[in-house]
Amino acid sequence: MLRYTMIRTVWVFIILVTILSINFILLKNAPEYPPTIEEQREIYYARQVSDGYMTIELERDPEMVEIIRQELREPAASDEYTLVRNAWYRDEGDQFRIYKPVPLINQYFNWVRNIVTEWNWGVSTRVQANVPVFDILLSRIPVTFQLNIVALLFYIPIGFALGILAALRKNSFLDNFISVAVMILISLPSFVTMTFLVLVFGYGLGWLPVQFPPADVTGSIRYTAFVLPVLGLSFGALASLTRTSRAELSEVLTSEFLLLARTKGLSQTQAVLRHAMRNSMVPLVPGIIASFVGLLSGSVIIEVIYSIPGTGRIFIRAMTQNNYDFNLILGITAFYTVISLFAILLVDLSYGLVDPRIRMGARK
Amino acid sequence: MNEKNTNPNVDKEKLQFVQRDEKIFDKKFETKPVGYFKDAMIRFVKNKTNVVATVILFTLITLSILIPTFTNKNFTELEPRMAFLPPRVPIVENFGVLDGNVYIENQQVLPETIDPETGLGVPNQTRYPSEYIVMDTLVNYEIGCSEITENCMGGLVNFANRETDSASTFKAPGSFFPELDSNPTITINVSEVQLAEGSSFSVLVNDGTGNYVSIGEVEEAGEVTFSVLDAIENPDDLFFYPTELRLLFENSDQSDYVRLENVLFTFDGAEEPLVDASGYDLARFETLDGTGRLTRFEATITMSSFEFDAYGAALGDYRIANFSKSEYEKIVEANSGSCNVIENPDNPDGWYLDEGCPVREVIRTSEAVVVDGVEYVSYEVIMNYGLYAGYDTVPYYLAGTTNTGRDLFNLAWVALRTSLLIGVSAALVNITIGIIYGAISGYYGGKVDILMERFSEIIARIPFLVVLAIAVAYIGPGITTLFIVLIVSGWIGVASVTRTQFYRYKGREYVLASRTLGAKDNRLIFRHILPNGIGTIITASILSIPLVIFTESTLSYLGFGIGHGQSFSIGPITFSGVSIGVLLADGRAEIVSRPYLTIWPAVIISILMITFNLFGNALRDAFNPSLRGSE
Repeated sequence: MLRYTMIRTVWVFIILVTILSINFILLKNAPEYPPTIEEQREIYYARQVSDGYMTIELERDPEMVEIIRQELREPAASDEYTLVRNAWYRDEGDQFRIYKPVPLINQYFNWVRNIVTEWNWGVSTRVQANVPVFDILLSRIPVTFQLNIVALLFYIPIGFALGILAALRKNSFLDNFISVAVMILISLPSFVTMTFLVLVFGYGLGWLPVQFPPADVTGSIRYTAFVLPVLGLSFGALASLTRTSRAELSEVLTSEFLLLARTKGLSQTQAVLRHAMRNSMVPLVPGIIASFVGLLSGSVIIEVIYSIPGTGRIFIRAMTQNNYDFNLILGITAFYTVISLFAILLVDLSYGLVDPRIRMGARK
Repeated sequence: MNEKNTNPNVDKEKLQFVQRDEKIFDKKFETKPVGYFKDAMIRFVKNKTNVVATVILFTLITLSILIPTFTNKNFTELEPRMAFLPPRVPIVENFGVLDGNVYIENQQVLPETIDPETGLGVPNQTRYPSEYIVMDTLVNYEIGCSEITENCMGGLVNFANRETDSASTFKAPGSFFPELDSNPTITINVSEVQLAEGSSFSVLVNDGTGNYVSIGEVEEAGEVTFSVLDAIENPDDLFFYPTELRLLFENSDQSDYVRLENVLFTFDGAEEPLVDASGYDLARFETLDGTGRLTRFEATITMSSFEFDAYGAALGDYRIANFSKSEYEKIVEANSGSCNVIENPDNPDGWYLDEGCPVREVIRTSEAVVVDGVEYVSYEVIMNYGLYAGYDTVPYYLAGTTNTGRDLFNLAWVALRTSLLIGVSAALVNITIGIIYGAISGYYGGKVDILMERFSEIIARIPFLVVLAIAVAYIGPGITTLFIVLIVSGWIGVASVTRTQFYRYKGREYVLASRTLGAKDNRLIFRHILPNGIGTIITASILSIPLVIFTESTLSYLGFGIGHGQSFSIGPITFSGVSIGVLLADGRAEIVSRPYLTIWPAVIISILMITFNLFGNALRDAFNPSLRGSE
């Protein structure tokens, strides 16, 4: 088990580093969008230099200054194109101060060093200019986590209960009803259900707020504001949990050890609770952990529809066309990658923990 | 079970030996063998729900191909006048629902339109012409208002200063000439007063020399009357007495105010008072100096709500300020015979045209503008949109129209076709890659398999937000980005199913037999193993299509997929940039006022997803031989 755990953990780290590295290199290679306001831009580039992503060069040669000026005005004018991509040419009258990016591979190593030694994920360029990315993330993560964990706590008991009910009353009217509802809820896209929830309970009946209140609002609205997004987020997961738990339990219910349990004198309830339930848990627990990843990425669209100030919404904002904030995107995607990979690691390990018969990774 | 069947009631006559004399081992079977696909078909048909779902699914697909083809509507043309029409459905409209009327509320009533008989007024004619208002449903009601406009009527006016320890003078508009010998008075009706120590609210008039002096102060609520004569020392000396009505407010506390109901300036025997200001008139008092501020309280404005015939209004007459003469002549020519000019006695600049002509009236002609020697003249005209755009009858837009005036019912089918097409083509690419990848990985096994598995695991672990970010950074939102996001990790499901199937079948005897006969890997993979495992692979592939459509609509909804104005071609057919996700994103902006824009596309995609999933599940059951005879 220890060996297996170690192999899986190391493997997850390898995947994590690979994904983050690919992401960094590809995004940094794309055309950059520095802050728009002049003063912020100066601060930003100064920081880029001190973080080791850029160097400053001075161009004093009058001939070159003229050429650069010409090219900045009309990029295609001269025969020889001398401008470096993503560099900033600051006109200082008789000279140019050039902030040139260092080679990508050096940028990459500096980035790794900055993160490892200083936990420095860079600064935002467009969304909140010059604010450290990690600070923005820290202010956003709690809302997203609250939302997802409340959704998790909401759908797990209900999903189990419905699944058990359907399995115990197999082929009854109740079972058929649950199956139809599950089929519909699984198929509906979450933005459709969310839109209708807001339309009916928000605008139509007026019971619940139509969008998430700002952080300074207090009172009961802070709690009622969670109802609709939690519902919208968890319907799909609820349906699939109901379906799998019904399938697992109904399979276990027909197994021979349950018949044995009954013959040795246990009541139906005892047999179901002590034997059937435990055995049907084996594939369900990892499934639930895995569903958290699905919830998290599904919450992006819910956050956008319901104006929830979470990580998903800030991601969409950082992705505004021609206003990209790559450092922030890098930070947010790193967050999502880390969460999903560790959830997957937990899934892998939980297989071994929940069911001792599964000795995965053990020597053959 | 072990008991012998000793039922004595079997009729001996009925006993027959089947094969006493003949040998049957080389005889042909009388029944037909049930093949793999036939067996699957039997199981597929057994489940009625799935059959119904499949029928609905294929109906949807057929309709999405047929309806856009046969409506002959150009889906790129914009018709702003037909924008945002509500749903209108034949037969149902007679019951008062989905009849093309929209419920409009909170529209300011113009006071001059109030009908003395019914007491009801209508709002501004340019937005809601009264001929298209369903008069039975017209309701007027009053709501509070605070703005200083004529339509906001009645109420009280608050006199206050913005700053502490300041003095401000308010003045009634105009100046007056009261007859001094008939006792001119100023009466003020005070509703509420809050004056701290040192604050005062006094009435000023001309003392005859041009100086304004106080003739009294307001101290408490109620009606107070002041005599103008108090200000003047010798009224008899005055030959000509002009005065203004001024109110002076000095405050020592910022929260001080005086709330007035009415100010009346009159004299005995006056035919009408010089000033009789309340409500709006009172609020129009000018502030001459200081930081004085007037605010209105308890004033009301009349609003109306009604059902509005949106179709009639859209197809009816409307005014165009600049209609070029050449365009006008073209219309007259096209409708020759029905566009005869009729003199307009009231308006010598313009003229009427015959009934049935798209141009109803020309109001005036603009001055000619000469550009490059060509003279351009434009008319101000009243057009009939129904005749102009060629609507013979009022159209039925079953699901209403979009912001650009397109028929949403038809547009949703176009969108469905686009969604399906993207879904199916992306799924096809995924399936192809997946089958090849899974086949190689599963067939060769060993080191190749381990390496390929690790690779696909890394790819599968990349969150789709990462792929989306990278694709958007390089390409920008659009169809290419959409395909990249759909394909990068979309093939993995099919690949792993294929790999499992290959592991299962590659050790079988028939593969070994074929190999001993000299078959190459290629042949073994595609001619022997793949056909045997194809059932499961097909199911996995079919089930991946709704997933792809789902992702597509989500991305388009967020604005990273296709969008309006984009189009792409596959072979000779050009597809519009409208998918179900795009329609839903459009509808989101209007979700409160026009929910029908969301409902219809949402219904279509919901039915599509539900039936697609049922169909996929049915296929999975059908292609699972272990379920043979279990039901």
